[in-house]
Amino acid sequence: MPRSIPRFLCETAERLPDKTAIVSKTRSVTFSQLRDEALATAECMRELGVQPGDRVGICMEKTVDQVSAILGVLFANAIVVPILPRLKQTNIRHIIENSGMAALITDSERLTEVSEFADMTKLITGHGAIDNNWPNLPYLRRFIQPRLFFNSIGADNAAIIYSSGSTGRPKGILIAHRNLADGADIVAEYLDTREVDRIGCVLSFNFDYGMNQIWQTILKGATLYLHDLALPNDLFALVAKESITALPVMPVIITKMFDKRLKLATASYDFSALRYVCSTGGRLSADMLNDLKATFPTAKIYSMFGLTEAFRSTYLEPDKLDTHPTSIGKAIPDCQVLVLDENGEECPPNVIGELVHRGATVTKGYWHDPENTAKVFRTHPRFPGETLVFSGDKVVRDEDGYLYFIARGDEMIKTKGFRVSPTEVEAEVTHHPEIVDAVAIAVPNIAVGEDIACAYTTISGQPLPEPTLRQYLKGQLPSHMVPTYLIYFGSFPITGNAGKLDRKAIKQATFERLGIEEEAGDSRSLRALIQNE
Amino acid sequence: MATQLQVLYDFIRTEIGYDGALSPDIDLLERQILDSFSIVQLAVFIQERFQIELEAEDLVRANLGRLSNMIALIDRKKAAKGQLGNQGNG
Repeated sequence: MPRSIPRFLCETAERLPDKTAIVSKTRSVTFSQLRDEALATAECMRELGVQPGDRVGICMEKTVDQVSAILGVLFANAIVVPILPRLKQTNIRHIIENSGMAALITDSERLTEVSEFADMTKLITGHGAIDNNWPNLPYLRRFIQPRLFFNSIGADNAAIIYSSGSTGRPKGILIAHRNLADGADIVAEYLDTREVDRIGCVLSFNFDYGMNQIWQTILKGATLYLHDLALPNDLFALVAKESITALPVMPVIITKMFDKRLKLATASYDFSALRYVCSTGGRLSADMLNDLKATFPTAKIYSMFGLTEAFRSTYLEPDKLDTHPTSIGKAIPDCQVLVLDENGEECPPNVIGELVHRGATVTKGYWHDPENTAKVFRTHPRFPGETLVFSGDKVVRDEDGYLYFIARGDEMIKTKGFRVSPTEVEAEVTHHPEIVDAVAIAVPNIAVGEDIACAYTTISGQPLPEPTLRQYLKGQLPSHMVPTYLIYFGSFPITGNAGKLDRKAIKQATFERLGIEEEAGDSRSLRALIQNE
Repeated sequence: MATQLQVLYDFIRTEIGYDGALSPDIDLLERQILDSFSIVQLAVFIQERFQIELEAEDLVRANLGRLSNMIALIDRKKAAKGQLGNQGNG
């Protein structure tokens, strides 16, 4: 078997058969049970007609059954396509169509919602009550002999993760088995994740960072505790009572954990088992760092950076957080980060260039999208025969080699840990029968990354009542895409001759209306940034 | 005067923007009627609207995950307040 997640699971189940692998509110499994569930799931998938290389959607809540489903698809030599359960039907339809999905595994509670896709893909229940219309994996597993027939190689496709692009519909990022295995190895190396670790998992398994927690757990024989963060005190109780040693988070999760509107139980618990907190998906503010340090004095804090196309690019060593708090650190093991100018030349220190990533975690490109793949996954004359990820992100390196994030190259809005395409928001807003044009704008808010503001014009030339407009949008968009600010314009400024909307002027006017200053961006002193002032 | 349940229903409909079926015993988080943002909104609203102060041990899913739990919590807090001789009479 090649180095892969299935192999890691087989080895760990052999080595630590009775050690607890995953714990949830309702049940827990040992490594041998997890392996057997995954093997039985794979056999079920095969009997249900899933072929090697088939795309299998997983639209489930975070449960042990979800982990079994993900692993079962990998063991069946098929490709995992995670689907965020909160997505609206149109987005799910797009992913089913675009990936050519052979089967969709979902929770019994979600079956009525997804039944409209029954003619497009085979529906399978992965968790919950038995239904006569659709096969139920937990039920079928009881009658199936677990059997190992995994024979993919490292270069074979393991997952497609859909992520919003700056234009059009979400693109599928194609990930090989080798990428997943390398991602587990690399992250476990620099975080020093070990067998004794108890990882508190508040992340979802619908994106690379969350799934990597499963991979690390399996690789190292650690234990993963599943938790849905709703009220922070429940999370603090879990961390203390289960002696959690590792807590992977994101800025938006830290904001929720230390919500100043709520009384928190942090003082009444002992968190001394916690070895590290790691975070990716946005910058950590001084407040966030202070809250983390004050609450978890024993924990090292790792600030990390990356994009799904190359999984993870950099991390900052915890002891550099005080001296370089605004840095995204240096390249992760087995990867290199280049800062290149427009001609592909390496930028000298303190000169802004594009972050270009090379090494183990470079994924295979966008699924069935050669045009966009060619824009991001490119070669460089210095590295013949190799594909690098040209992120589009603007960064700068200081004299000591520490990297600093300056700005994104695309127009994406990064909110609550999601990449949101302005175009997608605008498309839904303009579906409203009264609305003519809409422009979605990112408004900086370090607590969530960015808020979405949406400026709009109407047929009647009158503003729409905000509660009804908001209600309408909540029906059309997943909650993380519903704009925080809805701003009416009598008319939009148009650029000179092209007759296009003057997005820059609209953005400026929106910022004025919201009473905030234009993003510092270019005017922000590089020296101030690097000196962490 | 609106019942506590009615007040909570109204908040979920108008402020949270949920217009599907509601009943006191459904798990609002599991059914994705509330998320981690809106449950905090609701907790803040409960404190203001019912003039009670929620302590750290009150602010857990066991007390705020279902409407029936919330009403029990509100009643408990009000009763405790009454015993302390404060003016709370709801």
